[in-house]
Amino acid sequence: MIDILVTPFDRPYMTRALVEALLLGALCGAVGVYVLLRRLAFLTDAVTHTVFPGVVVGFLVSGRSGIVPGALVCAVAAAALFTAIAATRRVNEDATLAVLLTAFFAVGVILISRQHSYTADLTAFLFGHVLTIDTTDIVVTAAVTVLAGLVLLGLGKELLLRAFDPEWARATGYRITALDLVSNMLIALVVVASVQAVGTVLVIAMLVVPAAAARLLSERLGVIVAVAVLVGMVGAWLGLATSYEASVGHDLRLAAGATIVLVLVAFYALVTLGQATRRLVRR
Amino acid sequence: MSRPAAIVFDQASIAYGRVPALEQVHGTVRRGEIVALVGPNGAGKSTLIKALLGLVPVASGSITVLGQAPAQARRLVAYVPQADTLDPDFPISVAQVVLMGRYRRIGWLRPPGRADRDAAAEALAAVGLAHRAADRFGTLSGGQRQRVLLARAIAAQPEALLLDEPFNGVDAVSQEALLDTIKTLAAGGAAVVVSTHDLGLAQLTCDGICLLNRHQFGFGPPADVLTPDLLRAAYGGAALELGDRGLIVARS
Amino acid sequence: MILLTSLGDGYVRRALLEVVIVGVLCGAVGVHVVLRRLSFLTTALTHATFPGVVIATLLGLGLVLGAGVFGVLLVAVVAALTGPRGAEHGRETTSVTAVVLSGGFALGMALMSTQEGFSRDLTAFLVGSVLTVQPSDLVVSAVTAAVVLGMLAALRKELHLAAFDPDALAAAGYPARRLDLVLLLALEATVVTSLPAVGTIMAVALIVGPAATARLWCSRTSTMTAVAIGVGVASGVIGLAVSEQWNVAAGGAIVLSVAAFFMTSLVLRSLPWGELAVAVVGRRKSAGRPTYSG
Ligand SMILES: Nc1ncnc2c1ncn2[C@@H]1O[C@H](COP(=O)(O)OP(=O)(O)OP(=O)(O)O)[C@@H](O)[C@H]1O
Ligand SMILES: [Mg+2]
Repeated sequence: MIDILVTPFDRPYMTRALVEALLLGALCGAVGVYVLLRRLAFLTDAVTHTVFPGVVVGFLVSGRSGIVPGALVCAVAAAALFTAIAATRRVNEDATLAVLLTAFFAVGVILISRQHSYTADLTAFLFGHVLTIDTTDIVVTAAVTVLAGLVLLGLGKELLLRAFDPEWARATGYRITALDLVSNMLIALVVVASVQAVGTVLVIAMLVVPAAAARLLSERLGVIVAVAVLVGMVGAWLGLATSYEASVGHDLRLAAGATIVLVLVAFYALVTLGQATRRLVRR
Repeated sequence: MSRPAAIVFDQASIAYGRVPALEQVHGTVRRGEIVALVGPNGAGKSTLIKALLGLVPVASGSITVLGQAPAQARRLVAYVPQADTLDPDFPISVAQVVLMGRYRRIGWLRPPGRADRDAAAEALAAVGLAHRAADRFGTLSGGQRQRVLLARAIAAQPEALLLDEPFNGVDAVSQEALLDTIKTLAAGGAAVVVSTHDLGLAQLTCDGICLLNRHQFGFGPPADVLTPDLLRAAYGGAALELGDRGLIVARS
Repeated sequence: MILLTSLGDGYVRRALLEVVIVGVLCGAVGVHVVLRRLSFLTTALTHATFPGVVIATLLGLGLVLGAGVFGVLLVAVVAALTGPRGAEHGRETTSVTAVVLSGGFALGMALMSTQEGFSRDLTAFLVGSVLTVQPSDLVVSAVTAAVVLGMLAALRKELHLAAFDPDALAAAGYPARRLDLVLLLALEATVVTSLPAVGTIMAVALIVGPAATARLWCSRTSTMTAVAIGVGVASGVIGLAVSEQWNVAAGGAIVLSVAAFFMTSLVLRSLPWGELAVAVVGRRKSAGRPTYSG
């Protein structure tokens, strides 16, 4: 059993994948708690989709090395746009997000539909490929993780205040829009860092599922953050190992990114089930 | 021996966009005073408080808070909002909520220290909820939440305290306790502005009354403002009268 | 316009008919989505039907059937998890929706990755291919549209109350949860029906966009529904014409037309005379901006 969890990672490409996945697990777990508190899951989803045209353009311009810069430009633009829209407060915010996210995505689809290798490229962008991650990707992710750590430590109490009671925050002189810009940019960076490994669509899972599971287990913020980081990392590890074992040991090819997410969702389901049965038993 | 002015309204008018909400407010709140904003629903009480925070702009005239424009004075001011719009599922303890009152004093990038925790604990004790410090905020009752939010404002040790109907849903005993806390704060030199629908309370506990209904009907000591004529004018002819012991009663 | 000249082709006529039907359906259902702020749930539903499609392909069943069955399953999961007292246990709607969304999509992808080389079909499902709509698809769309629109009309006032004040609805003795479920099922049916036209990821634009556009101009549900339907149909037709003209993905073009309608309205309404235009057009409407938020 221990073998299954350790031996796969002897291979260099698996080691790289593991390092990347662990970093992402920790990063997404921590930032995800803020996403959960602010109920920004939809905004995150919107950022992941808006990154798509950037990924496509970056790839068309300079191949694989263009993906991260392309994604970065789009993500930053999207984060700024969403912050501005939220600041005007004139419109139903989630409807605006829905329209914008699909519009950005549609631009990506239209761009890529002019290409020959349409379908193959599309799936790679959407689904990611953690197994072909290289050292640069890991450095990018590590940098984002350090930055996120600094922001969360430095501005933790202000972000918490803004999440809990924006009216009070504004009344005591904090600039909500500035704080929102910081957190939206952070989310955008996390999305960019995760795009190579898990693809545009599954980033949201890495961000939301560990935090949501941790919230089920505790009501204390400090505990929630710790548990979310832990769940994110363990889930990444187990997911990679499962995917490897399935394809090498049982000849069943399971996409690594998707398997990580399925492990996380399974954990969430287990916790929910456990709590439900406990309530039933107690009654 | 008049105390220094804390809040000065100078013919202030406030509008949402182009629609005027409140016009011609004129008067002074001094340090150590408690002034009540009274008037019917939609009179503009909440609007005036938001203007004091710089959350809605002053259209004409001016408002000065602690010698500065309202938006500049925010860090010296504490506020308890009218509506309970907070997320009841938020994973945050009562103590943490009260501690938020200290954030402006602590400043960016620094964690709360011992003194901040002590101040928060003291404020929570003052509203009589010290025993609930570790509970999640969402598990409190509506009136208890209101008391916690007041504790947060007190923990900020503000020089001006703005309260928008703070006694809604608060039981009589707790209300007395809250009033004592507010009075202590005022005695320490803070200016307090409180909006309320309880005319009797305003009459008995406040140093000044600002009677509003889309514009100002009176601003001054309770005895001068809470007169049958002014009240009838502000409340649109409703039969409000002074009862036997000088208290206001509504007659149908 | 190439669209006009190519109308002789059966597939173009079918595509046109499909976008009109879907435009009407999405416009009408979208009004409820926007009023109740269900955009995220709709996004989740569209994404999470993906495994249904994959499973249906594996088993050789109809894609729409697969998506439909799986979609119903997901609606049930979300409803059960959030439940009447879900929030008390830390399961508020947004997080549950996000979990279901990602779980569904990941399941679809994991299943897909076990197979070799059927990404072509599925790509069509992800981003739509209205030009390959079959007569049978058209029949399904027409029947769904008729049923859903009939239901929306019949339950008009109850749904209205539910959107405005769900507590009052429950207090008045209506089966509020069952009513919610009916609406979610209608939404699900709409999502599945619009899949051939714009695909799973973008279907939400066709549902939310026209209604959100209408919301900017109207403050009554009746006019809002009419405008939403108009915008939905117009976006479909314009998108199809653009796609024929410049040979780009039809789904993408339709979504961009929707977005163009929405963004134009948003900008117009932010200008000073946008208010005036509304005042003139809707003189008898209730006072106040429809997009009012405290
Ligand atoms: N955000 C807003 N935009 C436009 N008008 C507003 C806004 N908020 C309040 N108003 C209007 O300003 C007026 C004053 O409202 P305000 O909330 O200040 O009343 P209030 O005295 O606090 O009433 P209540 O006793 O009900 O709390 C009302 O006519 C109201 O319709
Ligand atoms: Mg008010």
